[in-house]
Formats: sequence, structure tokens, C-alpha cells
Amino acid sequence: MLARVANNLFWMGRYIERSEHVARFMHVNYFSSLDAPNERSQNRQFVLKSMRFMIGDPVKESAEVLDEEQVLYNLGMNADIPYSIISNVKWARENANSARDLISTELYEAINKFYHFVLNYPVETYVKRGLYDFCVNITEMTTILRGKIRGTLLHDEVYAIIMMGMNLERATQIIRIINTKYNDALMARGKSVEEEVGYSFEWVTLLKCAESYDMMRRFYKKPPNSVSTLEFLILNPDCPRSVMNSLNQVTKHINVIDRSKYPPKDSTAFLVEKVRADLKFKYVEEIEENIQDFIEKKLDDLVLIAQKMEKEFFNY
Amino acid sequence: MKTENTIFGSYQKNPDLFDEVFDSSGEAKEVYQKLFELYGNYSIDDYVQLNNKAKASFFNQGITFQVYGDQETKEKIFPFDLFPRIIGPEEWDHIEQGAIQRSRALNLFLWDIYHDKKIVKDGIVPLELLSSSANYLHQMLGLDPPGEVYNHISGTDIIKHSDGEYYVLEDNIRCPSGVSYVVCNRTALKRALFGVFNHYQAHTVVNYAENLLQILESVKPKGTDSPNTVVITPGMYNSAYYEHSYLAKAMGVELVEGRDLYVENDFVYMKTISGPVRIDVIYRRVDDLFIDPLEFKPDSALGVPGLFAAYRRGNVCLANAPGTGVADDKAVYTYMPEIIKYYLDQDPILKNVHTYHCSRPDELRYVLEHITELVVKPVDESGGYGISIGSRLSKEEISKVKEQIKKSPRKYIAQPIMSLSVHPTYIDESQSFEQRHVDLRTFTLLGHDTEFVLKGGLSRVALKKGNLVVNSSQGGGSKDTWVLKNHNGKC
Repeated sequence: MLARVANNLFWMGRYIERSEHVARFMHVNYFSSLDAPNERSQNRQFVLKSMRFMIGDPVKESAEVLDEEQVLYNLGMNADIPYSIISNVKWARENANSARDLISTELYEAINKFYHFVLNYPVETYVKRGLYDFCVNITEMTTILRGKIRGTLLHDEVYAIIMMGMNLERATQIIRIINTKYNDALMARGKSVEEEVGYSFEWVTLLKCAESYDMMRRFYKKPPNSVSTLEFLILNPDCPRSVMNSLNQVTKHINVIDRSKYPPKDSTAFLVEKVRADLKFKYVEEIEENIQDFIEKKLDDLVLIAQKMEKEFFNY
Repeated sequence: MKTENTIFGSYQKNPDLFDEVFDSSGEAKEVYQKLFELYGNYSIDDYVQLNNKAKASFFNQGITFQVYGDQETKEKIFPFDLFPRIIGPEEWDHIEQGAIQRSRALNLFLWDIYHDKKIVKDGIVPLELLSSSANYLHQMLGLDPPGEVYNHISGTDIIKHSDGEYYVLEDNIRCPSGVSYVVCNRTALKRALFGVFNHYQAHTVVNYAENLLQILESVKPKGTDSPNTVVITPGMYNSAYYEHSYLAKAMGVELVEGRDLYVENDFVYMKTISGPVRIDVIYRRVDDLFIDPLEFKPDSALGVPGLFAAYRRGNVCLANAPGTGVADDKAVYTYMPEIIKYYLDQDPILKNVHTYHCSRPDELRYVLEHITELVVKPVDESGGYGISIGSRLSKEEISKVKEQIKKSPRKYIAQPIMSLSVHPTYIDESQSFEQRHVDLRTFTLLGHDTEFVLKGGLSRVALKKGNLVVNSSQGGGSKDTWVLKNHNGKC
């Protein structure tokens, strides 16, 4: 596979995954706030700021009053904003275009439909009453894409590169979502996390943002608290959205690209194993003790993996 | 069957035009009768719905092209007409033989003009024809292309005149495009109206890519066992990018850009995730002057530095060969009957349109005097750009065109206005079928001791009423084209 095309496919995977997480985060947060148990969580400004925080564009002045329609527009359909869903979908398609000969017609057609859906969605409807419909369609279409990727591509290097992109992005987004909701939980109570957020409504929202609430309940058979939520979303290898699961996937796919038994220490495969091992032998109390450090460290690790890949495989 | 109360109900037949479907008495010709009956069962509403579905199918598949010239390049669907064109087996045989004959003759001509130039020495074509052509590449002199083939892929544009005869309008042997649309048109028609195929046995068109790969591999460099073939594209913003990606995918080879390749010790490599991989055959969809900045345009970012040197050494095959453009020059076209006779000792199977060379003083005079009856074409443009149809020009435009011709007579040729045949075509605005002019582009492949003509082709339709220019960049659409397997076409 061409190095340039590999780079494009890697990013196609990332953009598809990213648009899904942004869309789900937006609608889950927005709609769960409507009947939230405390005033803070019900506050629309609080929800909008949470969205901005998650996307990586936090509101600097806490007193700043956000315009709801503007925030929704910017996150969803403003093509001039690089983090918007529409920008992500455009780039996913652009990257797919450049690899059109490698991917299946079915996958390309699905991406193209996805693009035209977003492009043609009426902005006015979206910002006024279409948030749910728009976001749910985005998540459903990304699910279709994932199905087409798994079901119509040869499970070779091309597939491995796309899956690496998707899983690295998934791990990144899940950590960002945890970070955001942890932050929200703190602000909602205004007190320390340990004391107050045991049964926080924010944990349910967090799990729903990762489509993991139902399975979490099945696994623990108890309402979520900070420890069980973090454990499930970070460490549980069977939870398909967990960071651990994503890193396991990344490891599996890097081994398709780099088949050496003992990868050298400056290779991507080595770094991936190292990051994975570090997480595998962590326990949740350790993480919870200093969650902020953990989040920053893990985000850095993920960036390092992507940079290493760029150097090793995408250098053209 | 009468046309009243059917979707052909309002079909207007202009008696001056050659209608491919209806004879002079207004009845559908034998080969079209069944089709006409089947389409006659649709109401306009049904048909509109089918048409919209077909359009959506093209859009979702991303089968679009970009139009240059506007401020921003726009993505458009290539308009597709659901009423197919049918060509009977004998008629097709004539076209196929003619297309192969031209390809072979052009290949021999190219070999000759880049080697001994016997045809010039024997006084068949004038030397200026070559020396004045911008597409004649001195770099190709004395170079033996692998497999001795220059024009591996030819697209021949053919029309049916009002006399019912086929004429060749031009040979395209640089980077002829359109073959992917032939396949897409068939797919779209099958999706929308699969039932009609029960009544006709049409040759498949999906075998083009496998034949193309075979042809490309037949001209592999010496000493290569199983060649590595790639398609090179200028990139995804090129108007024919869909086609480039389709061909690469259908052949199962890599689609590369210039920046994916490099040359080392006169061998060509592509940069992959597992290091360099040697390339033996390149199907290039990048124009001559852009393929190698060291040899041609130094500012080209689309090419590969050193590629031509590797080609000269015989380490890589380029298809088509650089410098083929000299032979699809519209001035060379006019010598085609002589060229065919000279190399093959045969009469041309497909007719040429009579052509006036503005470079010849007496013919230039004729052209200037009869400009309203002629089509004036620049010899070195493609895509329908720069064509003036005399009968459509205003007085000011005529004097402007005359000035242009006088300024550089070598640049222009003129031909009588040919009346392209018409075919019933669905027109969105009027929601009915109307007569529209069509041509046919056939695709011929020439390899080392092997050849292939795609049984089908791209029937291009001029969608604007009365328009004779069918190119997609000028508002043309296309039709699926069926070449029938047996005489009456029925199962």
C-alpha cells in the first residue's frame, strides 16, 4: 500500500470515529440535561460549555454567555470550524476519495451518502429542532460505515490501517469524554469528587455518551459510581468502547502491518505494546487517585503513537 | 406500435435528421421494436421516478466530474439517459474492424515518424506535419517502446451522418477517457430497468479492465516475469479521477500520483508502507509534458523526475507512449486514408470526414469563403474546446474566427458540418423524449501481438437542442450502448 494513501486511510478512520463521538456527546448531554436532577446540570449554559470543553475549545471566561444555536451550528454544521462534524465528514470523504481504488465500492458509496446527508441537512432545522435527528443519523451512519469497513474490505494492511485510525481515535475520544464529564461532575456539585458524586447523574450521562450504560449495568448490577464507571470505560477489555479494548485492537492491527516477532524499540509496534502494557497493569484506584495526570499521560501516549506511525509508515 | 399515449407520445421527428430509432415512415426500426414496446408501457410519472433513481445512484456512487473554468470547480453528475442505443452485430463488426485498422495503422505511423520517417521520404505526408506539431517529441526519436506499441489505448470518435454511414471524427490516442462511464451506464440501466435485458442479448462491457491489464502486461519491459502495473493520476481533483480510480480498482493495481514514485538508477519505485516497490508498467493518465520535470515541463509537480530516462533505458513501460499526441492531431487525421493505405495496404474501413487544411493556401481560401458551411477546429485542442460551427456564428464572430485562422493557419482545419444522427433522449425540462444528436466513442486496446475492442462504447448525447458538441465539458450526457450478440437481438 502506498504510504500517502495509508496516511489518508488512517485519517479517514479517525474522522469517521470522531464525528460519531462528537455527535453522540452532543445529543446525549443535551437531552439528558432536560430532566437532570440538579439545577446546575439542567442549566443550558452548563451543557453548552461542556460541549465546547469536550471538543477542545473550552470557554475561557466562565461568565461568558453562549448562544445555543451558534454553539450547535459550530459543532455540527459550520464548515469553517475544523472540529465541526461537517468538517470531519468532509475530510473523511476526501481521504476516502484518494483511496477509492483500494476501498470497496460499497464503502465508498456509504461514505458518499453520509457526506451528502450532512451537506444537505437544513441548518435552520438542525439548530432549532433537528439536533436529535441529525446526531442520531450521524451515529447510525458511522455504524453503517464500520459495518462496510469490516464486511466489505479485505482484512489486510488497508483494513489494519483504517482500524488503527479508528481505535486510536476512539481511545482518544473516550478519554476526552471522561475528562469532560469528570469536570462536569466536579462543577455540578462544586465540591470534591470523592465526597459527592457517588451516584451522580453525570456518570450515567458519561456511560451513555460512550453507548456503554446498559452493558455497564449488566456487568456490575449496580448503579454507576466513579470507580465502576472509570473501571468499565478505561480498563474493561470486554467493553467495546473502553480504552483498554481500543488499545488491544490497535495492537492487533499493528501486528498485521509490522509482522516482526521482536519489534525494535523505535518502532510503532514496540510503542503500542508499551502503552498497552502500562494500562493493562493499572488498577482503577490508582487511576482515580490522580485522574487528571492519568488523562494527560494517556492522551500524550496516543499522540506519540500517531506520530510514530507517521514517521514509520506515512513518510512519503 | 403507435406512439400515442406512450412516453413517446410527444416525440417530434425532424425529417432532415437521421433518427437511429425511427425510420422515415415513423415506425420503430426492427431492432428497436421490442424496446420501444417495453418503454411504451411506462407512464411519464413512472419514467420520471426511474430517471431520478438512476440519477441518485450516480450521485451516491460519486460518479461525478469536475468542470473547470468556473470560479470554483463544481462536482456534477454526468447526465445519463435511460433509453439505450442498440448496434446490431454486422454494423458493429464494421466499426470494430475499422477501429482496429486505424489503431494498427497509427501505431505503425508512430513507429515510422520516430524512426526512419519513410512516409515522409515517400512523399505521403509532408514533413511540416511533424515539424510543426507541438506534440511531436524529439525525445522519442529512435526510442523503441517496450513491445513496440505506442497507442495501447485508443478512443475513436465515430458519428453516423445523415447518409446512414459511419464516419470517424477523431482518434484520441493520448489519454482517451470515458470508458468507466460505459460500465457505469450499463450498471445504472440494469439497476433501473433490468427487465429489458430479458429481451436482448447485449455483449458485456465489464471485461474492459481485465483486457486492459492483459494488454499492459503484454508490453512489460524485457526481463520482467510478473510485472508490477500501476495507474498514475494527476490526483483527485482531476476531472477524470473517478475513471482513474475505477480502472485501478477494476484491474486490482495501485493508483499512484507522481509524488508516490521515484527513480533510482533508472528504475522506478513506489513508496509503500513497507518500503520501495519496483514498478514495471505505468498506465499514465498524466499528459506528456507533465510526466517528468527533468525532461519536459520543469515546473510540473505531477510527474516523476527521471521517469523518462528510465523509460528510455527500457526499464519501465509507459502506456500510452509519450509523443503519441502527434498522431491524434486533427491535421494528421486528414491523412488517415493515406496512412492506412501506406502501412497496411488496405482501404480504410471507416470513412474520414473530408477536411480542409488551412495550411494549404487554396484550401484556406475555400475555408474563408465558405466558413458558414463549415466547422472550424483548432488542430491541437481536445474536449470540444475552441470549435466554431460556421452556421451558428454572428457576423462579428465570423470575422473574429477568420482573423484567428489567418493569423495561424497551421492551427486550424475545417470540415463540412456533419449531421450527427439523433436518438430519442429524455429531456428533464419538457418531461418528454426529444431528438438529440449522438456520437460514439469506441475503445481499442493494442498490445504486443494482441488487440481488443470493447463491444459497446460511449454514446455521447448533446443535451442542448440542436447542439452538435457532445463532450461532457460542453453539456453532454451519455447512453448505454448495446452491441447485440445475434442478428435480431432477441432471445
